[in-house]
Amino acid sequence: MNSLLHVQNLGFHWGKRKVLDEVQFEIQAGEFVAILGENGAGKSTLLKCINKILKPSYGEISLNGKNVQSMDIIEISKHISYVPQSISSQFSMSVFDVVMLGRRPHITWSVGKNDLEKVSKTLKFLGLEDFAFRKFDQLSGGERQRVIIAKAVAQDASLLLFDEPTSDLDLKNQIQIMKKINTLVSRENEVQVSALVAIHDINMAARFADRILLLHEGSILQQGTPSNVLTETNLSKVFGVTCEIEAKTETTPLRIIVKDEMDGEEK
Amino acid sequence: MHEISLQQLQKNKTQMMTLFVSIGITMIFALVAMGFGSSKNLDFLTSMKILLGIQESTGLQSDILWNLRFPRILMALVGGAALAMAGAMMQGCLGNPLVSPLTLGVASGAALGAALAIVLDLTLVSIPELAIVANAFLFSLIVVFIIIKLGSMRSVSKESYILIGIAITFIAGAIVSTLQYFATDAQLSQLAHWSFGSLSRPNLTNVLWISVVVITLFPSGLKSAWDLNALSIGGDDFAISTGVNPVKTRKSILVLSAFLTSVVIAFTGLIGFVGLAAPHMSRLVIGNDYRKLIPCSAVFGAFLTLFADTLGRTLFAPIVIPVGVMLSIIGGPFFMYLLLNNRGA
Repeated sequence: MNSLLHVQNLGFHWGKRKVLDEVQFEIQAGEFVAILGENGAGKSTLLKCINKILKPSYGEISLNGKNVQSMDIIEISKHISYVPQSISSQFSMSVFDVVMLGRRPHITWSVGKNDLEKVSKTLKFLGLEDFAFRKFDQLSGGERQRVIIAKAVAQDASLLLFDEPTSDLDLKNQIQIMKKINTLVSRENEVQVSALVAIHDINMAARFADRILLLHEGSILQQGTPSNVLTETNLSKVFGVTCEIEAKTETTPLRIIVKDEMDGEEK
Repeated sequence: MHEISLQQLQKNKTQMMTLFVSIGITMIFALVAMGFGSSKNLDFLTSMKILLGIQESTGLQSDILWNLRFPRILMALVGGAALAMAGAMMQGCLGNPLVSPLTLGVASGAALGAALAIVLDLTLVSIPELAIVANAFLFSLIVVFIIIKLGSMRSVSKESYILIGIAITFIAGAIVSTLQYFATDAQLSQLAHWSFGSLSRPNLTNVLWISVVVITLFPSGLKSAWDLNALSIGGDDFAISTGVNPVKTRKSILVLSAFLTSVVIAFTGLIGFVGLAAPHMSRLVIGNDYRKLIPCSAVFGAFLTLFADTLGRTLFAPIVIPVGVMLSIIGGPFFMYLLLNNRGA
């Protein structure tokens, strides 16, 4: 397999506070990777460094062997698409126009037939056909999230970064969004898509991710398959909770039942 | 082609049609406005006949039409368009619907320059007719320079621009008040007259130069339409993910908007409301896509300013109510009606 993204010895500081330290991992083409970690572990910061929204304090991020810091923003956006947790704006556009913004890296000014078709197909793929001409700010949280994902898909990027895509959604919408991301990664595309998803729901990560990066205090505690990473010891260390792990079977995914918080000494 | 693509194409076509109809109405109104005036030598019908080539004009009539009315009308169109375009772009790049071309303190800088020229006779040029204009322009450019410097700082945020603009407004306002305190009655009157905003000050040469500057800068604004779309809809992180550099874009848009504003208000005095109202009226009609919003705001701004000025010089003729005052009087309630009506819908 080809390495799509290679993060080496990455560190990021907010002033004197160390947010990320010595982070190192790779993502292969066509992989679904989840980042888990407690609040403030550096999940969002890591995604923002990869997308050049933030500049790392040290270390290197390579995309297809090319250093991301040496690439300009427009070039990066042709390869990487970032889906923020949510967006709020004083101005609104139609859903079609918001998704069309995903074509921005590929067009200079006027929109071509291919761009229109790409947006239309993406809206259909995400079940947003009926919303195409509705105002973005009049949609529910789940619908908005789907629109932002549609914008990322229309961007034709090979790496999709999701910052807690299910945090504000109800259960049905959470499942729907994760299934859509999974379909994107697994379907046969012209460009093979990989996804790096920062998420709080460990069961969602266990069910959908090929691999998990477990962040703890700014560093990767462990990375690997869900069964290897999501152990009682790791979860109690990172999240400070006791839990029970039900192993993956042919019909059910790996399941984590959180039992209680640990007191300071136990942790 | 997919059904949704066809619907989008149809929508684009309708919006372009709206834009062209608006341009047509504005042009027709500009022609009609050439017929209005207080001169007894040139009534409305005679003006129209001369303009349409049905009747020959006398020397005086020609002078009134082409040296008095035409520069004023062209200034209304160009000035209104420039201020509205600047307002629309600034609202987008700062993600704030309350922003207008005057928010960054450009107008306060211009007012300070004008006050220094009027009260202290502190000017760069010795030609009396140009002294106030040159000072107003120079001081508004100083504000633009502050904006450029501010934009070069890495940590500057959208809010910082607005707050610095407010600070500049207060500082310049305080100095102008101090100058007013020591000014003579004649100087006070001149300063007050400048601050009302009038389209009669620039002569034809001035207006043609302003037109050249505004028309030259128009494509730069239009070129940044996609960037403004990304910034106004999703903020900085969203914009970066679509390939837009928010810091660089914001800086260039603000400098462009401030320069457009400076060029106009240095000659006309304070005309502020059109830069806030015209973009919002355009948003209600054509939406928030800056590829259409920028030209639409320019057309609405041109129409609004021309309409206000025409009303101002005909309503109580021969008394002329300054365009800045008229714009607020007629534009304000209309603007409120549009916003409330849209919210209800």
